[in-house]
Amino acid sequence: MSERAASLIARNQRFIPLLATAGLAVAAYLFGAFLYPGMRDPQVFFNILSNNSYLLISAVGMTLVILSGGIDLSVSGVVALTTVASAAMLRDGWNGGLVVLFMLLMGMALGATMGGFIAYLKVQPFIATLAGMWFARGMCFFISDDAIAIHHPLMRILSQTRILIPGLSDPTTQRGDFITIMTVLSFLVLFVAALAAQFTRYGRSLYAIGGDEQSARLMGLPVPTAKVLVYTINGFCSALAGIVLAAFVASGHGLYASGFELRAIAAVVMGGTSLAGGSGYVIGTLFGVLILGITQTLIQFNGSLSSWWTNIVIGLLTFVFIAVQSVLASRKGRRRGQAAGSAGQRASRKRARLWTVAALGVIGVAAMGLWLARSPSAGGGPSATAETGDCDLQPFRQDLAESLVQSGALIAYERNGGPRCIDEVYAIFPDGRIVGDNGADTVELQVGQESIETLLAGIREFGWFTDEMYSTWHTPCGQCYGHYLTVVDGGLEKTVKGVDGGTDAPADFWQVISLVKGIVPDFD
Amino acid sequence: MDSKLFFPIMLLGLILLFDSALVPGFFSIQTRDGNLYGSLIDIFRNASTIMLLSIGMTLVIATGGVDLSVGAVMAISASVAALMMNPYVLAKELPPHLLRLINDPNFTFQPLWVVILVTLLVATVCGLWNGMLVAYVRIQPMVATLILMIAGRGIAQLITNGVRIQIFYEPYAYIGQGWAILPFSLYLVAIVYAITWVSTRRTAIGMFIESVGINARASFFSGINERRIKLLAYAICGLCAGLAGLVASANIKTSDANNIGLTYELDAILAVVIGGTVLGAGGRFSLLASLIGAVVMQAVTTSMYALGVPAFALQAIKGLVVILVILLYSDQARSLLRRLGTRQEAAP
Repeated sequence: MSERAASLIARNQRFIPLLATAGLAVAAYLFGAFLYPGMRDPQVFFNILSNNSYLLISAVGMTLVILSGGIDLSVSGVVALTTVASAAMLRDGWNGGLVVLFMLLMGMALGATMGGFIAYLKVQPFIATLAGMWFARGMCFFISDDAIAIHHPLMRILSQTRILIPGLSDPTTQRGDFITIMTVLSFLVLFVAALAAQFTRYGRSLYAIGGDEQSARLMGLPVPTAKVLVYTINGFCSALAGIVLAAFVASGHGLYASGFELRAIAAVVMGGTSLAGGSGYVIGTLFGVLILGITQTLIQFNGSLSSWWTNIVIGLLTFVFIAVQSVLASRKGRRRGQAAGSAGQRASRKRARLWTVAALGVIGVAAMGLWLARSPSAGGGPSATAETGDCDLQPFRQDLAESLVQSGALIAYERNGGPRCIDEVYAIFPDGRIVGDNGADTVELQVGQESIETLLAGIREFGWFTDEMYSTWHTPCGQCYGHYLTVVDGGLEKTVKGVDGGTDAPADFWQVISLVKGIVPDFD
Repeated sequence: MDSKLFFPIMLLGLILLFDSALVPGFFSIQTRDGNLYGSLIDIFRNASTIMLLSIGMTLVIATGGVDLSVGAVMAISASVAALMMNPYVLAKELPPHLLRLINDPNFTFQPLWVVILVTLLVATVCGLWNGMLVAYVRIQPMVATLILMIAGRGIAQLITNGVRIQIFYEPYAYIGQGWAILPFSLYLVAIVYAITWVSTRRTAIGMFIESVGINARASFFSGINERRIKLLAYAICGLCAGLAGLVASANIKTSDANNIGLTYELDAILAVVIGGTVLGAGGRFSLLASLIGAVVMQAVTTSMYALGVPAFALQAIKGLVVILVILLYSDQARSLLRRLGTRQEAAP
């Protein structure tokens, strides 16, 4: 009995990773649905598809590259560049269709260039594409330092048109469950790529090159051309993903999609495609993307977990899947070279390793699940359409600060951004009155006059009015705050701005900010 | 002298020449309280983190690998150090006698040597993790270290609960800002360099590393424990990254999980590439050439800032430099150039 099972497993070993992923995706979804009633709403599932459509598009391209034995680290850079470039072009009044076309061409050109380096100049794929990523990401900041908003009808159609699901919606009222054009687009890419990989000559040559490049060349396959083409295709996918992302967040910025390449690679690996190339299925990538999407949704539904957990979990899942894969690969290698002797001992060691890795993986996933289930859910969880907390900084409301100073405030302090996208303005008056306004609420606090004097003395001491205190600005991260501080003291007035996490800002600026933060009241 | 030094020194000379034309009084060095100050010293001081990284990175690249996670490891070590010195920062409400300690420049929760030791230990464990994935689980170095590169910043955030911890403890700040005739961090670099140089060049380890990089299989058959050598290289790289994290966080007196060491992996890799160690193939390495490469990188960054190029946009230029330098070293490009040259000669 066990022998038959073993032979069944051995014969279908290439499907094991695929099945494991599909199983894990279903299990994760059921687990979430069991834990959070909100997740049982089918719309949540459709939102996962919609929110991750750009990931799916990019991961499909990545699958083809990895099947051919390469890797493309440039996707995050190209995605970010596409968002910024398209936003800038749309802002300058270009035709929407032309912009999309131009972006796709740009992505393909970048991909083809990297492919050319890899295929003809024999640069290793990861170096060429790493340089490509740096180049693309750097170019973003030549176009714009700040986020550019997109208000174009085409992008709105792309992201907001609802395609109602028959059976789950009411066509007369246009209400009910829906998917978006982005979802349809991503599935289109998925199916075209899956069919092309399995049933076209080019698809088969990709598998051949990934399996053994030398043999592929000896068989007479056009290896360099095929390689350039696969990176070009991936460039196309990255650019398309970038357009979808730009439409989805309605803006473009050079820091978008950071760490995106790992998510795409993780989705591919979880989908059962071997990083060594030559084996795997494009369709598996869909399940890889689903696992990532569901993980993110679980973390959002939990509500008490920070968004950075997503990256940690993705890293962990990637590790588990790659480790299992590498152990499976070494088992295959052992079967091939069984005649080589000393097999018995090595076989038992390899089996022990497989079990260790599998057990570690199961324990890891189980511990994560247990801990997710136990950690308290904050306030019933966010709505079904919760998104990650990245937000754009608001511009400094200089006129507001000016009017506060006019009305007698000694200190006007504004901070905005942060994980919760706040925009708070505080004014500190000489009589010890502190007023805060965050747009929705106001808060007032009366402190002693002497503490205002100590505060001002402290600010002076840190050299506020010297040249050592200067404004700095760099593009903030999603979790960071922008700070603007105007101080009036002894007839002098000076405004200094800076962004959290600035290694460029003078250290004393942060001392001053912490002094001010120490005295102003909190909202809530 | 090692011929590998020629190219980086020439590059450094060119950039310094460019800088001296750009910045008036570039080479002037002032003495204040017996300490040396000046633009040149600043470049070296700012380069110290990249120099530290490049020492570890050289060994990793020499084994034929690469470590993309150094920036994240820097962030982790900065978070660990900041938290150990001042865990009260994370508390929601504090009694006044503890609240006062938060920005007391003489207060540290753990003694400094414990802080440094534990931080370096954590960083080494990060390096060991990378090494384990590469040497024993057999994941491609780039993907293996990418995992920690992405997850690492999350871990650093987790350690400090997403808070940017300010560091007030003055002796710690000395690591990054201290001055004893020359900036203190440069002495650190010198010590790490000396130890690494002696332990690789005065023992067989250096040769083992080169041999593993040139051909791991052949090294295995000639009796070198190829896996352990790789593990060692990644561990040292982690250790160096931890030290760089200490210097960087001491320099800005904050632990900033989001930004400490951001894109430093790029600079470190570039420094090593400029130093002539072949990325992706490994083999022969020169620590000193990598150090000069690191100074070149910092000089480039400084002069770009002087020209007003935004910080993030620098990446594009550096990306191009990587490709250019790699092409300069690659056989294919050289033979292509040679062929082009002969064709042009043949044409007239």
